Amino acid sequence: MRGVLLFVTYQVFMRNFLRILVGVKYINVAELNKHAQFILVANHNSHIDTMALMSALSYSQLKKTHPVAAGDYFGISPLKSFITRLFTNALLIQRSKNAEGKNPIQAMSASLVKGDSLILFPEGSRGEPQKMQQFKKGVGLLLKKHPNIAYIPVYMTGMGRILPKGERLLIPFDSYVVFGEASYSHTDDTEAIVKEIEEKIIALGVAFQKSKFE
Amino acid sequence: MNLAQFSANKEVTFIILLIIGLLVFATLLFFIWGKLKPEANLIELKLRTKSWWTMAMVFILAIVINPIISYFAFGLLSFMALREISTISKNVRDVDRRIMIWCYIAIPIQFMLAYYGYFNLFVIFIPVVMFIFISFMLVIRGETTEIGRSMSVIPTQLMLTVFSLSHLAFLLSLPQIAGFNAGGRGLLLFVVFITEINDVFQFTWGKLLGRHAIIPKISPNKTWEGFIGGVLTTTVLGYFLRFLTPFSVVESLVVSFVIACAGFVGDVVISAVKRDIGLKDTGTLIPGHGGILDRIDSLAITSVVFFHIVYNLYYS
Repeated sequence: MRGVLLFVTYQVFMRNFLRILVGVKYINVAELNKHAQFILVANHNSHIDTMALMSALSYSQLKKTHPVAAGDYFGISPLKSFITRLFTNALLIQRSKNAEGKNPIQAMSASLVKGDSLILFPEGSRGEPQKMQQFKKGVGLLLKKHPNIAYIPVYMTGMGRILPKGERLLIPFDSYVVFGEASYSHTDDTEAIVKEIEEKIIALGVAFQKSKFE
Repeated sequence: MNLAQFSANKEVTFIILLIIGLLVFATLLFFIWGKLKPEANLIELKLRTKSWWTMAMVFILAIVINPIISYFAFGLLSFMALREISTISKNVRDVDRRIMIWCYIAIPIQFMLAYYGYFNLFVIFIPVVMFIFISFMLVIRGETTEIGRSMSVIPTQLMLTVFSLSHLAFLLSLPQIAGFNAGGRGLLLFVVFITEINDVFQFTWGKLLGRHAIIPKISPNKTWEGFIGGVLTTTVLGYFLRFLTPFSVVESLVVSFVIACAGFVGDVVISAVKRDIGLKDTGTLIPGHGGILDRIDSLAITSVVFFHIVYNLYYS
């Protein structure tokens, strides 16, 4: 039942809606099929981001992939929490400032142990359109714990214009989801892992812009 | 429109077979060329061939199944072109984001006017009605800094994408003329085929003989030799393809000549817009992404020019 809902939402409706009407284009999406389990790490500008990544997944991946979302935003009311979980398979975590680390990492870790995949936005919030913020270190802690799980850096651009933070009206613009090469964390240093991923995503962005502009 | 009528219309059948033949020839040519000379950069040419296969297939489907498919196809093409030009445009302010929704709403209206053949409203809807409406909506938003630029850029984008391509759709809504069998489909095929073949010949003559650049700052590949060679070849081809139109010999020569020149204009206008933004030429774009504007650049001008020549000669 759940599978049917996800199938209809993403494979039938959302994928075509995003590609044809909104103008989302995928580059190097084949990278996703090379791995059974992965952590997608992407920059974050808009609610479209999660939808765009979920729509890129195949049906079997869709059932086992959880976007990690802020519980203090999407879980604020029981209804919002229910809808978020139902339609996105989301893993809701608390991003409170004082208790940084522990609980959210454990929740994510547990679903990785089950063999599921995750979608992470280490910027934490959508922020200003088309600007990248400093990465939070959760992704580093997680990869340190699971060095055998591949992470795929993803660079997204244009989504911040389609549906910026605080806007309700969706306007079509050409936008791109660029998948990088999958790799594994090599070090035990959390900060170094975070920095490496951040640099990879920025490099994807630079390479993409360069291929388009002089 | 059904299969029986389709095959009964000899002119249209002939040109469709010709187009499929040319596409097969081009596909094979670039495939073999690419195999023999792997260093040659044929991505642009291959992409163009691919998109023309799509266009040809849509066109044939529209004729065989239902002509309304053509209106949807051109509407979708306009939509994607407008989305592309509004994405790459640097000249529009962030506050104008919401204005774009009115431009997108204008697309179905414009194509509905084309479908029902309301000529008078059709020709003024975007240049007059939308022009005033967009300016007014910009004023309502209340942000006056650089508002003049937005007032000119946004309607221009609508003109280059939606207004222009909707004329191709309107060709299909033109009434039948006694003694002219090919009808709107023939006219549509004529203008699209002549425009594209003109692009090909201007490119080919330029490669073969090109020495003197026309506008080196905007398009270094455009040469006088390519331009003149292309225009002459196109004019001659127009003479042979006049069975698709109601034109006399002289008319067919003059109209093809005008289309050839207009195609050049469209090409360099879109090139200049791209230069301004800093976009590279299509060849270096990631294959299969973006680049709709590059495919329709000459068509954006030739469609309007051709439509109004035909309309004034035979339908007014």
